[in-house]
Parts: sequence; structure tokens; C-alpha cells
Amino acid sequence: MSGAAIFAVWAGAVALVAMALAVTRPNVVHALIWVVAGLLSLASGFFALGAGFAGAVQILIYAGAIIAVFVFVVMTIDSGPAAMAAERARLATGWKGPLALVLLVLAPAVLGLAGAGGAGGAPQPVPARDLGVLLFGPWAVAVELASAMLIAALLGARHLARREGGE
Amino acid sequence: MTSGFLIAALVLATGLFLVGLFGLLIRRGVLFQIVSLEVMLTGPALAFVAAGAHHGDPGGQGMFVFVLVLAASEVALGLALYLRLSRHADTTDSDTVRELRQ
Amino acid sequence: MTPYLALLLVPMPAMGAFLLLGLGPAQFERRAIQTIALLGAVAPAVVMLPLGAYCLTGTCDGVQPIFDLTVGDAVVALALMLDPLSAIVGVTVTLIGACVIGYSIDYMAKADVADLRRYFALMNLFLASMLCMVLAGDSIVFFLGWELMGLCSFFLIAYHVTSPRAIAAGRKAFVITRVADAFLLAGLLLLFIEAGNVRLDVLIPAGIATEEVRRGLIAFLLLGGALGKSAQLPFHTWLPSAMAGPTPVSALLHSATMVAAGAYLLARFAPIMESVPLAMAVTAVMGAATALFGAASAVFQKDIKRLLAYSSISQIGFMLLALGLGQPEVAIAHFVVHAIFKSLLFLAAGDITQIARGTTDISAMRGALWSRPLAYLAFVAGAASLAGIPLITAGWFSKEAILSAAWLAGPFGVVLWGVALASAVLTATYAFRPVFTGLTRIGRPKASLGGLFTNLPILFLAAGTFAVAPLVEPIMNFLGAEMPHGPKAVELVGAAAPFIGLGLAAALTFVPTLSMRVARARRMRSGIRIDSIYQVIFVQPFVGLVRWLNGEKGGIADPVGTLPILGAERLAAAVIRPFAHDPVDRGWAGFSAGMVRAWGAGRRMQSGRVRDYVLALGLGLAAFLLIAWGTTWR
Repeated sequence: MSGAAIFAVWAGAVALVAMALAVTRPNVVHALIWVVAGLLSLASGFFALGAGFAGAVQILIYAGAIIAVFVFVVMTIDSGPAAMAAERARLATGWKGPLALVLLVLAPAVLGLAGAGGAGGAPQPVPARDLGVLLFGPWAVAVELASAMLIAALLGARHLARREGGE
Repeated sequence: MTSGFLIAALVLATGLFLVGLFGLLIRRGVLFQIVSLEVMLTGPALAFVAAGAHHGDPGGQGMFVFVLVLAASEVALGLALYLRLSRHADTTDSDTVRELRQ
Repeated sequence: MTPYLALLLVPMPAMGAFLLLGLGPAQFERRAIQTIALLGAVAPAVVMLPLGAYCLTGTCDGVQPIFDLTVGDAVVALALMLDPLSAIVGVTVTLIGACVIGYSIDYMAKADVADLRRYFALMNLFLASMLCMVLAGDSIVFFLGWELMGLCSFFLIAYHVTSPRAIAAGRKAFVITRVADAFLLAGLLLLFIEAGNVRLDVLIPAGIATEEVRRGLIAFLLLGGALGKSAQLPFHTWLPSAMAGPTPVSALLHSATMVAAGAYLLARFAPIMESVPLAMAVTAVMGAATALFGAASAVFQKDIKRLLAYSSISQIGFMLLALGLGQPEVAIAHFVVHAIFKSLLFLAAGDITQIARGTTDISAMRGALWSRPLAYLAFVAGAASLAGIPLITAGWFSKEAILSAAWLAGPFGVVLWGVALASAVLTATYAFRPVFTGLTRIGRPKASLGGLFTNLPILFLAAGTFAVAPLVEPIMNFLGAEMPHGPKAVELVGAAAPFIGLGLAAALTFVPTLSMRVARARRMRSGIRIDSIYQVIFVQPFVGLVRWLNGEKGGIADPVGTLPILGAERLAAAVIRPFAHDPVDRGWAGFSAGMVRAWGAGRRMQSGRVRDYVLALGLGLAAFLLIAWGTTWR
């Protein structure tokens, strides 16, 4: 494996650890910070793989916009020590089953993938221009549909989150 | 590993996805569950990009863009629902909050 | 075109008359009915006489086929046959039938049209069926005629439908002859099984060829059939009661023709009977016993018709005696002679009793010599033939032949001869009792003559009793046998018998003490009460059973019908009712209820808890991945 590939794998591993930590924090904000960490490491991995646009977009939009929105909302809630204690209590119990399930899913995936082999070669960088051609060419309709979905999500969120009259 | 980075990337992608799944299973708070969903989404994202890099196909990154769109919509709606829920219900425990009607 | 084709024409006119009168849709007037009936009765005689003459000329062994049915391996070939036996009997039957039906025109003149039509239709049907039986060339036509005769007998005995006595008599006659017919049918069927063909000329040789036990069975079955139809012991009880029918019916059916059908049966199947010595012995013994019993009972009768009925029983006993001795020709000769004088006696008595307002008591004969001289003299002629007055009457010749046959049949035959002789004496006794009663005069009776149709037949028959006398031996020869002659001494004793009887008759009539004892001899009059014995043994239990089955007297109504129903109910209760809530059905209901419960349980899957859904999704994912990984195995 080429150096870039090794780095990409390393970055992915880091992201994995960060995510694992993210889901197990009793404090929401801590969880979110760990998610950001994971996203950033993934982005670096993308860069190593030659997917520059993907990495950039990951930082800008995923970590920058989506998680930011998350943080805004979190700011409106009350996350005092009582809430954190409650979360901790909840976390302590009931993790064995899900862990077993996860491992149950992981095992065949990994084994299957491991047995596949033959996926040699160095990562090939994909210039952004090729992506642009793709998105505005053959996938243009899909892009339009995606934008329609965004509009629907916008309106839905606006509607669901509105305050009732007189509140 | 002579098999190249793709396998490793896919394994990592599976791992990310499963971490998210794990989080979804063990967390009861709705907000945490939304966070776990985000984590889950990074799995396929990594998979797509790695595959695209392996084949030199921009389609991988294109799919990543769509995954991103999906994540954005889902976060928006999820948080809106959470806000609604937190206003009307006493708790935000997803186990006890069963009906959205309240 | 053989002359035997004419055989088919013999029963046809009578059958045609029956169809017209019995089933014809048109209304007929009295004259029309009488004409049709007379034509239907006379035409067969007209056809039969030339056939009989043809038979005399030589070749007389013709079979006229009617049609064939092939049933598998067996061939059912229906046919009529003309041979000496059927020719003689056929001529006799047609002539007597014509006489009696002609006589009925006057006798039944007072009946109303509907009854008259019924009467003549049935008489013609009877004539047709008797002719079928006589001329039959196969057992099916034979049995058909036999059965139809029994049916007509029933209807004609019960002619006076308003009289319960007549209907009961008809029923008794039918039931008893039916029982005997069952035996006959069994015998004929066994023969058919042996022979595979129904033609008589095949059946009889096949019957002789069967092995001994079965042959004996067949012979006894045929004998049983003959005994029933001919009112012999033990089946005789129906004949005296059958006198409840009109006199011409008694004349035709129950004296001359039908009751002698048994004798004809045994004569026809004589080769088979002769091959079973035991059956022959039984026939002879039964014949002799019946002859004696009938004659003895006849002596004590108060009613002329019953007297003549017992006389028929006795005379047919004589015929059976002859048959049992191996002399069927003698029996048939006696049949012919008996037919003539017995029908004559009935017709004459009927004419005389009509004067006495229809009562048939012997006292009605009183003064008959003066009030109805023609009929009375004819009656005397008949009585003389019945008694067997030597040399001038036909009765003498045939009876003498029977006695001689008995004497010649060995030591046991001598016993039979003795019995027959005693019967002959008694025969003369009862025959002349009415004759002597007719000589007694009360008041000054006015002489009158009956109508033409009354007198012609009577005269014809009276002439016949004398005219046939020299013909008896030729008849026997024609049938293929010699007339038996015993030793002269025996013949003389036989000749004396009627005169002894005559003397007895005179004594019984004119000696008051004797006549009173006769009048009081109730048990003898009722035929030693055999009829009552049958009533107790057979009839009463049967009627009781029928009543019980009907539900009277504490039985279940129709147990044969209700038992299956009860059984079915019990079966239903035992087998079906446990399933009434139908476990299978209940199983299905339970299944559907279980499904509801399952769905209720399943609804709990919809917990509304996100984590539960995620869990489910995760499990599904795990499964898919496992499968997918499994597919990479090789």
C-alpha cells in the first residue's frame, strides 16, 4: 500500500475511535465535539485518497454546517448535572446486548471482506473537475432531486419546529 | 496487506456504521440518537469515497455529495422534531415518548 | 310358413278381447261387451280345432318360436309348442272356455255394465293365459301363463268386490297358490341352470341328466308347485272358499281348467318326475290321500258349490295318483273327461240355483226336475260321469284306467287301489246327493227353460260326457300309451263302486236320521278343520306380526324402517356429535384466534421505541451479512 493509502487507513481508524467515544459521552456537547473530531480525521483521510473535493466539502458542510446546527439546538436545551447524571446512569446498563449485536454484524462483514482480496493498487486521485462534469452531466437529474429534497427538509423543519400560536 | 486500502477502508466504514448503530441502541435520549445517526452516515460516506478513489471514478465522490445532502435533511428534520418533542413532553427519553401526537 | 304359426293365433283373440274390454278407452254397451267377449272366447276354439286335427294326422311335434333373448352364455328362446299333450289339452280348454263364456252371457245378464266389462275382460285374460301355459314351448311362457292364471283367479274370485268374504277368499287363493308358485319357479330356475336354455325340449332332457340329488330337488319343487295350483293336500284350503266367485268362474277356473293345471305341469315334466322314484311315490300317495279326503269332505257339504269344489280336489287327486303311477296319459285323459263333466255340473247347478234366488244350498236343488228339467237332466248326466257309471259315461273309462293302473303297480299299488276305490264309492255318493235332492218335490214348481246361451253350452257339454266315452282310449293312445287293464275281477269291483255309492247317496238323502247326521257333521264339512288349523298356525301370527310392525298393539310402527333411523341416530350421537363442535373447525377457529393473539403480540413490536426498531434493523442487517458472507464460501 502506498503511503497515502496507509495514512488514509490511519485517519479512518482515528475517526472510528473518535466516533466510538462520541456515542458514549453523557454530555451532548462532548459527544458533538468528538463527532467533529472524527469528521475532520475522515476529511484528512479523504485528502490522502486523492478525493480533495470530498474532503473539503466534509469540513465545510458536514462539520461546519450540520454539526453547527446541532450545536445551536443543543444550546437551547437544559443540560445540567442532573441530566448528565441521568445519562450516565442509563449508559451504565444495557450495553452488552447492543455490543453483541454489533460484533455479530461486524464479524461476517470483516471476514467476508478479508476473504475478498485482490483489491490492490494505489488510490487514484479524482480531480474535482471530473466530479463537476459528472454532477452536471449524467447525474444532473439526481442533483435536482437532491435539491428538491433539501427544500422539503427545509420546509418540514420550519413547520415542525414552529411555535404554536399564543405560546 | 497486499490487498490494498479498499478492504481496509471498507472495514473501517463498516466499523463506523456499527459504532453508530451501537450508539443508537444504547442511548435513550433523542438527541443522542440523532448524533448516532450522523455517525452511522459517515460509514457509507467513507466507503463511497474509498471506492471512488480505488477505481478513479468520480461517482464515489458524487455519491458522497448525496450522502451529505441526506445527512443535512435528516438533521434538520430530526432537530425540529426534537424541539417539538422537548416543548410538549416532559422527558426526551425516546423510550417513554411514544407518540408524536402530543 | 309352417302351420305351427297358427299356434300364435290361438291365445290372441282372447288376449285381444281382454285388452279391448279391460284397457280399451272407449265405452262399450252391454251388447258390445258380450259380443267381444264371445268372439274372444270362440275364436281360439276355432283356430285350435284345425290345429288339433292337423296334429292327428301325424307330425305333431312342432315348435313355433316367438323370439330369442341372448343373455350372456344363455339363450332365452321363447316359443309355443304343439305336441299331442298340448293339442289335447288345448282343444279341451278352448272348447270349455267357449262354453263357459257363452253361458256367462245369460248368467251375468243382470250385472251392470262396468262389472260386466270387468268380468268378461278377466275371463278372456284367463283363457288367453291358460292357453299360453298349455301351448308353451318354454318355461318362461309356461310360468307366465301360470302366474296370469293365478292373478285372474284372484280377481274373479273377488269379483263381488263389495263382499268381504269374496275378497278374503280371493286373497287366500292368491297367497296359497303364490307360495306354491314359488316352489315351481325355483324348480324351473334350477332346470334352467342345468340346461342353459328355457326351451322345454332342452330343459327336460337336461333335467333327466342332472345328478340325483338336484334332480330330486327339482322334482319335489315341481310337485310342490303342482300341489298348490291344483288345490291338493296340504294346499287345498283355498278352493272351497273360492266358490265365493260367480258360478261360471267356478266352472271354468276352479273345476275344469286352472286347478287341473297342476296335473298338466306334472304331465309335461313327466320324464323328470319319472326319473325320481321318491317323487313319484309321494305324488301317488298325495294324490290318493287327497282323493279320499276330498270325496269324504264332499259327502258332508251343505252347499252345492263347495261340494263340487271338494269334488274337484278329489278328482285331481285321482289325476295325481295316475301321474305318480307313471301314467301321465291316463291322467290327461281323466283331465279331459273331468273338465267336461265338472264344468257341466257347475253350469247346470248354476242354472238351477238361479231359480232359487241364487242360494247355492243343496236344498235349492229341490224340485229341480220339474222347475228346470233341462238343467237337471244335464246335471244328472254330469253326476253319472263323475260317479263313473260304467260303460256309458266317459268318467267310467278314465277312472277305471286309474284304478287299473294302481292295481298293476305292485303291492303298494294295491293299497293305493283300495284308497282310490273308497274314493270312487264316496264320489258316487256325493255326486248323487244333489240328484236325489232334486227329485224331492215341494209344491208345484213350474217348468221353465233358461236362455239360449244357457242351454246350448249345457247341452253341448252333456252330449260331450257321453260322446267322449269311446274316445278315452284313443286319447290315451294318441298320447302314446296303452290303456291299462287290470284283471277282470278288479274291473268288476271297480264297476260296482259307483252303484254302492249311489245306494249310499239315496240313503243319506232319504233316510232322515242319516241325513240329520250328515247335516250335523260339522268337522267333516269343514274339511277336518284343516283350514282353521292353517288360520291358527300361519295366518294369525302373520297378521299379528303385521299389526305389530304397523305399530298397533305396542310395537314400534315399522321397525324395519325405524331401526335404520334409530341406528343412524345412535351413530350420529356416538361419532358425529363429538365432532359437532368440529375439532377441525375449532382448530381453524383456534388458529384464527391464535393469529389474533399473535398479532396482538406482534403489535407490541411497534413499541414506538426507536431503539427497538434499531435493534430489529440491526438484527436484520446481521442476518443479511451472514448470508452474504455465506455466499462467499466455496
